[in-house]
Amino acid sequence: MATVLSMRQIEKRFGVVKALDGVNFELEAGEIHALLGVNGAGKSTLIKILSGVYAKDSGTIEIGGAPVELGSPAAAIAHGIASVQQHPELVNDFTGVENIFLGEEAGKPGLGGRIDRKAMRLAAQKLLKRFPIEIDLDRRVGEMPAVDREIVAVLHALRREDIRILILDEPTSTLTEREKASLFQLMRSLKAAGIAIIYITHRLEEVFEIADRFTVFRGGRNVATFTSRAALESGVSIPELMLDEKTGDIFPPRTGEAGGEVMMEVRGLEKKGLFSDVSFTLRRGEILGIFGLVGSGVDELSKALFGVIRPDGGEIEIQGKPAILKDPHDALKRGIFLVPGDRRTEGLTLSKDVVFNTTLAHLGKASWIGGFLRFGRNRKAAEELARRVALQPPKLDRPVSAFSGGNQQKIVIAKGLYRDSQIYIFVEPTVGVDIGARATLYALMRELSKKAGVLVISSDCDEVHGVADRTIALYKGRPIAHADAAPSRDQLLAAGIMGVRS
Amino acid sequence: MTDTFKLPPVVLRLAAFVGLLAVIAAVFQFFAPAYLSNGNLHALLRHMSVNGLAAIGLTFVIVVRQFDLSFPGVASLGAMTLGFLLATGYSLSASIAGGVAIGLLAGIINGTAIAYLRLPDIVTTIATGGVAIGLSYFYSNGTSISENFFMSGILDLNDAKILTFDMPVVILACAAVAAGLILHASRFGRSFYATGENRVSAHFSGIRVKAYVLAAFGLCGAMACLAITLLVASSGAANVSAGSQLLMPAFAAVYLGAALFGAPSIPATLAGTLLMSAMLNGFTLLAIPYYYSDAIVSTVLIGAIAIFDPKLTATLGNLLRGRTAR
Repeated sequence: MATVLSMRQIEKRFGVVKALDGVNFELEAGEIHALLGVNGAGKSTLIKILSGVYAKDSGTIEIGGAPVELGSPAAAIAHGIASVQQHPELVNDFTGVENIFLGEEAGKPGLGGRIDRKAMRLAAQKLLKRFPIEIDLDRRVGEMPAVDREIVAVLHALRREDIRILILDEPTSTLTEREKASLFQLMRSLKAAGIAIIYITHRLEEVFEIADRFTVFRGGRNVATFTSRAALESGVSIPELMLDEKTGDIFPPRTGEAGGEVMMEVRGLEKKGLFSDVSFTLRRGEILGIFGLVGSGVDELSKALFGVIRPDGGEIEIQGKPAILKDPHDALKRGIFLVPGDRRTEGLTLSKDVVFNTTLAHLGKASWIGGFLRFGRNRKAAEELARRVALQPPKLDRPVSAFSGGNQQKIVIAKGLYRDSQIYIFVEPTVGVDIGARATLYALMRELSKKAGVLVISSDCDEVHGVADRTIALYKGRPIAHADAAPSRDQLLAAGIMGVRS
Repeated sequence: MTDTFKLPPVVLRLAAFVGLLAVIAAVFQFFAPAYLSNGNLHALLRHMSVNGLAAIGLTFVIVVRQFDLSFPGVASLGAMTLGFLLATGYSLSASIAGGVAIGLLAGIINGTAIAYLRLPDIVTTIATGGVAIGLSYFYSNGTSISENFFMSGILDLNDAKILTFDMPVVILACAAVAAGLILHASRFGRSFYATGENRVSAHFSGIRVKAYVLAAFGLCGAMACLAITLLVASSGAANVSAGSQLLMPAFAAVYLGAALFGAPSIPATLAGTLLMSAMLNGFTLLAIPYYYSDAIVSTVLIGAIAIFDPKLTATLGNLLRGRTAR
């Protein structure tokens, strides 16, 4: 087959971080090529360079054998590269046809340049003839099911006839199994038409279902490329390829006190469409880990345990007493503190200083009777907390937005320490946190676990496995392993990524 | 980090405020020599008291990042309610309480619709303001009310003095201190700000954000009616269009103050009100018709919003820095 795209020695830096480090990538005409890798491995950076969003620092890109410069999204499209974002931006009030030709509507000659709907519908029919798929394009996009919206987005990307390369960024993340089949059908007909597809996914089982080849990224490099068949035959472990090498021992030693008092008991917790049948027991003196990929329902689970969303079924008991968490206010009162996954929007008031933020979750403690703030005492408390979490720099008057990701996380934890809770739930605690601060955060979790129950929820398997005493994996909203077992890292990874029960 | 000596930003901002005030005073003094006379300064401060009370209420709404466009209409309704109660023979305090209660009620309706029913704030408050204006015609078919005013003692609210201060100024000062304590020295103030700055994180911190949005609208309505009470006291009659002159100065005061001091706060609002009143008073003194002075005030409002907008200031700052670098 002919090589349609060849990228050689691509490098890209963001400040001091090397996002891509000498990446080589080849794409053949009419193949479906999956890109795999954990968050931050470099796959999104690569496709952003390919679609003209980022400029590469060095390296060469050849399309059809001729070197090209993709300086802008328009240049990429002119070279026949189209991409569909993870959450396609469509105009809900327009029909499928109108969305496909958005910005390139056929005009009628004459006053005001009225839109020629007939010409547009004809062009849409031509598109559908090239890529046969069953869809009603006269419906408003807002009324379409997720898969039809995805198809409209793909057709929008392919509205020009000279598109040779199509990039799909996690198109199946919101689709059901049946919807997925219809998207795959479209992908196969594109393939038959000679269009090469770069396909990003987190779901490894899809790779063998649809992709001809796959390339695994790790730490900004392409580490392996296999044809799906060869990988199946030789039994290559994709999870193994995706994982970083051990990054030194940043995890504190386990204390292993399994017999502590039960802080939280969850039985059969369910939120339809997000997670179901989640049960675990959290004890004082231990860290319980839940591993789940983005979209597996872990984030929603954490919010259900904090009263942000109301579960449809199941029970939560807190220190032996059944509890229905009405809202975060209620959850905090019952001794639960959530260190949320998105600390910038959910955990912090970025424009305010450290004292404001650390005391915010317990204003009752921060004020006299009558509600007047105890300024001096609060400042002292914030100083003390800043020392405990090793805040760098310990400048309490700075707005929180001026701190690094790791230190922002420390401020959220300080906020939790100020609340003196019995149950701490950490979600994605070290996203965007450098390795040094990570060790501090893990040590803090361990310290917290001496007096409280600590639940760590993360899409980083190494993190969950390294820091927790016991672990569960959540796959598509369902727990795979039991909390009483302590699976190996690989078992946990296989459970969370592919739903394999060990 | 470079540790060069810098004046604390508050001092710089205060200096900017005093400078601006001095420029305004100098200009008007030049054209109207009576501007800085004792009598006119008293008039200026009395005028400021009315706008200041309305602006203090509005500050709470702006702090939680909402808009209230209903308070002028609500204030008219409050004025007519006050006039009606006085005319019917209720005591002064009961009548004032009645007027303010109407404002509080209107604010609570606004707040409920916006915080709990999630209606859009601008449209909702335009509508409730319209309803309030309609209702204000109910008492007298639109004619102004002034019966019993002299007997009731309401005129003293404008004319009386405590020590050397006019009564309206004293009322404004008390309200400002109370509002300042709530907004800047209490847990409730923290919650108002947290709600405005990041509603999600405030919710996750256990703050009942909807209740605070409701409270902000309630305070805004009540304060608007308290403000109009002073205006009724100074004009000696309750009028269906009394509230209409509150809207622009109040918004301009809050935004001008926020632009000067970096964020909406009670001191900032007071500073903004003083600047607005200094201008409006000057225009009156120069006998510039209200439609021109309104146009100028509106221009100031747009300017203040532009300065308050962080994106715009950043662009402007970059432009200036680029120029000095070159």
